[in-house]
Amino acid sequence: MQQKKTTRSDGRGSALWKSVVQHRYLYYMLLPCIAFFIVFSYIPMGGLLLAFKEYKFNKGILGSPWVGFDYFKTFFSSYQSGQLIKNTLIISAMKLFLYLPFPIILALMFNEVRAKWFKNVSQSVMYLPHFLSWVVVVGLIQRVLAPDTGLLNQLISGMGGDGSTYYMMDPKYFYQIMFGSHLWKSIGWDSIIYMAAISGVNPDMYEAAKIDGAGKLREVWSITLPSIMPTIVILFILSLGNILSAGFDQLYLLRTPGNMQLSDILDTYIIRVGLQSGQYGYATAVGMMQGLIGLVLVVLANRISRKVSDTSLW
Amino acid sequence: MSKRWAKFMAIPVMASMLIAGCTNGDKDSNASATASAGSSAGKPATWVADRKIKGLVFMGTDDYTEDMNPEIKAKIKELTGVDFEIQIMKADHSIDGLIAGLAANDLPDFIAFYLNNSGRPEMPVVLKAAREGMFTDLTPLLKDTKIYSKYEQEGFLPLDTQYGVMFRPEFNGSTYFVHMNVNRQGGYDTRKYVGGPYIRKDIADSLNLDPSTIKTTDQLYELAKKIKDGHFKDTNGKEISPIGPNYWGGQEIGRLFADLEWGDVGQFIKQDKDGKVLHEAETPYAMKKVEYVQKLLKEKLLQPEFFTMDESRSTEGALNGSWGIIADMHNYLEFNQDMHYVPLGPLNAVDGPYQMQVAFKSGYSAWAIPSSTKKPEEVVKFADFLASREGKLLWRYGLEGRDYTLDKDGNPLVKQEVLDLKAKDPNEAKKLGFGGVGNYWGELLGGTDIDYMADFGEMEYGDKLKKDEDQGALKIANYWHWDDKRKAARIVDGYTPNSFLGEFDRGTDLKAAFDNYKDSLVQAYYSKTSEAAQKILDNALKQMKAAGLDDYLKLVADKNNDPKTKVIFDQ
Repeated sequence: MQQKKTTRSDGRGSALWKSVVQHRYLYYMLLPCIAFFIVFSYIPMGGLLLAFKEYKFNKGILGSPWVGFDYFKTFFSSYQSGQLIKNTLIISAMKLFLYLPFPIILALMFNEVRAKWFKNVSQSVMYLPHFLSWVVVVGLIQRVLAPDTGLLNQLISGMGGDGSTYYMMDPKYFYQIMFGSHLWKSIGWDSIIYMAAISGVNPDMYEAAKIDGAGKLREVWSITLPSIMPTIVILFILSLGNILSAGFDQLYLLRTPGNMQLSDILDTYIIRVGLQSGQYGYATAVGMMQGLIGLVLVVLANRISRKVSDTSLW
Repeated sequence: MSKRWAKFMAIPVMASMLIAGCTNGDKDSNASATASAGSSAGKPATWVADRKIKGLVFMGTDDYTEDMNPEIKAKIKELTGVDFEIQIMKADHSIDGLIAGLAANDLPDFIAFYLNNSGRPEMPVVLKAAREGMFTDLTPLLKDTKIYSKYEQEGFLPLDTQYGVMFRPEFNGSTYFVHMNVNRQGGYDTRKYVGGPYIRKDIADSLNLDPSTIKTTDQLYELAKKIKDGHFKDTNGKEISPIGPNYWGGQEIGRLFADLEWGDVGQFIKQDKDGKVLHEAETPYAMKKVEYVQKLLKEKLLQPEFFTMDESRSTEGALNGSWGIIADMHNYLEFNQDMHYVPLGPLNAVDGPYQMQVAFKSGYSAWAIPSSTKKPEEVVKFADFLASREGKLLWRYGLEGRDYTLDKDGNPLVKQEVLDLKAKDPNEAKKLGFGGVGNYWGELLGGTDIDYMADFGEMEYGDKLKKDEDQGALKIANYWHWDDKRKAARIVDGYTPNSFLGEFDRGTDLKAAFDNYKDSLVQAYYSKTSEAAQKILDNALKQMKAAGLDDYLKLVADKNNDPKTKVIFDQ
């Protein structure tokens, strides 16, 4: 039995090697990509050591003294940690769960548009915001929502309202502004991948459904959605990894003294404490925690998904 | 066969190009700092060494450029033998650049960075680096210099520079940074600055108002109401905001609400009449200020984005006359040389009438030599040359004959054509490569021991030729009775209240809590009721207390009792 198993694994190994040799040019082409990930993703991971060390300028990462889990203790005993984690979770949950259906719905809508020129124009218009940086988008929001002089307030005062609300300073409007701007900026671009999935659905199925007397909505519900479900699930699992990073640039720019209790998240905290005050170790520890929780969530979600459906990352 | 090899080779070459393209090819710095060869016999008295000195500058790029003028560079080489080069580290905030630069641990012959006083956020960063042995001890090197040796004379340096920045007691006589821009004379003024709130002159005239009679925030409130009722218009024909933000962008403005402001803005710490050091949040002034600002906002007397507006918009508003009162500006701003805005007040302080305060001396920016630099004494000697009159003449006035001539007293007389070029095309003029035309590379190592009047017969570059340019500024100073106020001024020397955060054990937490208080104040201004505002302030105070505020205030009081570490509570 033992002998048999060894033979089988040897056989599998040599088959693999044969296939590698056979497709060697493809593997050569893969080399730069592998080198890229090693240099820019895996080697920098060594920097995570800093989370357990007190960084000394003259000793470098390896030579600096160990401090164990001190930074983690400091973070969790800090009066800000609870608030920071809560804010981060709320914002990223909104972006994960609440946002999820929007690009799917948009893709389904695009799919049903028949006039080609209209489809092209509207798709381009929806993709454009993706190419604007957050600095521009937040600048735009600031001008539109400015008290007294902003477009919205001018409209309100034109219709006899007050027109002096300082939306950016009022925590009451923070989530709406945050979510609305995220939706506006990302929905078009994120719908592309769903569009691609939809275009891969076998047209015969639609034909069969039509013959069976299915309407448009029934087609969407019973054919399109189930067909693109694997794509949705995989994208969802992947995005779970970012649950503790709620979008640094957007939040950093939207933050005002008025909404800071809601908008201060782990990412902005890392920049403020870690980089601007030079506490590299501490910032690395908080960043590492973010990454680890993300990893655990991705693995868990993947396992659950594999159990309840056939779709999973691995 | 060759085709096959080509295929084999192509992939690794591509990969190595990708990796090589992403690595830093700059491998010079210290290697290039080859020591001087041979003796300096036959060389000018200003000779330093035949070598390269390269500096990394962690400051904004407005006042310096990396491109040195070739003729100036050649002159430096001729006088000192040094091939001088600076590199500017660009970063969103200069401190981010500094931290990254230090962490990278690959520094050239010297570094220069912002450091107004030991309370600046850069201080703990460079201190950490100094404690960890990253910098050369400069004390023995400064001894053998002509200008910098003054730094070791008793009474030359202001207190904060001496004990807070340079000769800190913890270093037992060693020093790792040189603080710059120290005047030769105590209480020396380079300019007649009139900073603070300004009011549009036509508005003051039409209201029959003498702006200097506005002394309190109550009077300011009444004035703002009158401006609002007057329905004045800006250059676009739109109704103005009675009180607009700072010329340089929205922020908390101490001088506008001076009689409600406890200590300097950003510090909020001050001694009360009984000598007790308190934070603003512990006094009734915090809430008084909040209620006052809330009143102004509610009655639309204050521009609603007063505290947060970005610089471009607030400057645009000032240029268009959209603010009846500009919360803070000064008399040297170009747009106001016709005096269409005039100074308002000054308002009284929280504990009495206004009194001008003049720093005995104050520092600004600093440099240090990494311990990896070879022959650091040559860098110090070069800095000493730049700080001498001859060096200053070169980096401030350029080249004799090309940029200036000498008058009968041996002082530089700027060429009119240079001034004309500067007025017509400042960027082209900057390429001439010296301070007078806006390229202050020499200030990094040479801008100290300053007494331009004594050295060059004029306070500012080209003053002797200027007829009208600064007249507006001087007229405003006269209008404000600058000379009288200067005579009655208090000359002060000491530390800022936040200077000791670095040595306080919970300094980082407390700093975060201080920042939070500043944000909380703005949040309170915009809260709907005074109860809500009170709650916000109470929370901020609670956080500061949790971070050790009481102990810190005690530390500040103790420091203030020590004559070596006197604290300046008002700015």
